[in-house]
Amino acid sequence: MMTQTMIAPETLEDALAAMHAEPGSMALAGGATLVAMMNAGLVEPNSLVALRHVDTLRGTRQLDDGGIELGAMRRHRETALETPFKDGQTVLSYAASQIANPTVRNMGTLGGSIAFNDPGADYPAALVAANATILIVGATGTREVSAEAFFVDWYTTALEAGELVAGVRVPAALVGSIGHYEKLARIAGDFAVASVALQVTWSGDSIAAARIAIGGSGPTPLHLAEADDMLIGTGADSDALSKAGLLLAQAADPVDDVRASADYRRKVIPRLLAKAMREIAPAREAA
Amino acid sequence: MTEMVTLRVNGREHPCRAGIATTLLTVLRDQCELPGTKRGCNQGVCGACSVLVGGKPVRACLTLATDCEDREVTTIEGVGTPARPNAVQQALIDTGAVQCGFCTPGMVIAATALLEEHPDADIETIRQGLSSNLCRCSGYRKIVEAVSLAARRTAS
Repeated sequence: MMTQTMIAPETLEDALAAMHAEPGSMALAGGATLVAMMNAGLVEPNSLVALRHVDTLRGTRQLDDGGIELGAMRRHRETALETPFKDGQTVLSYAASQIANPTVRNMGTLGGSIAFNDPGADYPAALVAANATILIVGATGTREVSAEAFFVDWYTTALEAGELVAGVRVPAALVGSIGHYEKLARIAGDFAVASVALQVTWSGDSIAAARIAIGGSGPTPLHLAEADDMLIGTGADSDALSKAGLLLAQAADPVDDVRASADYRRKVIPRLLAKAMREIAPAREAA
Repeated sequence: MTEMVTLRVNGREHPCRAGIATTLLTVLRDQCELPGTKRGCNQGVCGACSVLVGGKPVRACLTLATDCEDREVTTIEGVGTPARPNAVQQALIDTGAVQCGFCTPGMVIAATALLEEHPDADIETIRQGLSSNLCRCSGYRKIVEAVSLAARRTAS
């Protein structure tokens, strides 16, 4: 028999015990993703474990090596406006500031968003571009998974039953690198038709390092080391950009949906990449 | 299965019954007899169900009732009355910024929270702040004008 209870523990240990005790229970963070899915009839949890009182999931921690750990209950608003990101780490604040609208950014959390892996969501590509690590906690202990390995398939992550996202570790970005998130959406705040998240480091007139991830164009964010390499040593001229963009577009696995056709998504990927590079030009000149 | 929850809404305690999937929006409208909060999309997109929880604007449709027991909820019925409208409500009336009225409660909540945080909000800040709320009459221009008027009146 389904008990259908809501439990609101105050410690992570109690939360994990509650998840374990009731198979089919789901963790409730800000509600922006999970409750929307419940309202749509797509998810019917047996019981819910509300994480609102688990203080250890809320904060941020600056690491000695320049990395930053963000708690899973960090709200989008806080990630967008109140996190001391440096250099290319700012790809995350750019992404967070474009999620939904101010009210939903006041509710939705980092952990809640990524645990669902909506292909149109903004964090996945940004976390892959930032080379971030997802911190996972379960009854048997903690483990860390790279963002690239965490997003497994459509709406599927590396989380096992009974596990929770505890947080995210964003490593220090290269000194002087620039972070940017370029999103194409039908209207501001909608899910992405397609997006480009990147970290780029310039050395004089040429690119010394690049890490590009494409969102909204397949089951998981797309990152190709070959595409990054195509830009390195170039001046991000239109030829280099269209070659890298084309490679990404060919590797993308988008679908037709209400927002755009798969063909359209493939078509805009190179253009979005070029636009992202134009957008960061002022930051590059200032550096 | 439902359980009893006691919600604190507009300074009053409301005993309610809620299952785990019951949203704050449903309880406010169906059990607390506070129908000012509107159900639009039920997906967090339109903003018609905006209420204040702990003084911060949230979507009542994305908030579960059982997750609200220890939180102070303020609905449109709690920010002003016909006899004593708040600054935003008075400015909406004076500007003629209400068309069909469906989005108005959510707009008032969003604008009231915005002016609380930015009492001297300029037009751009107001536009950004109200971007959480859709007006199906597309009456945005007057609404932004009204909130700007409320900001100026509060400042002076």
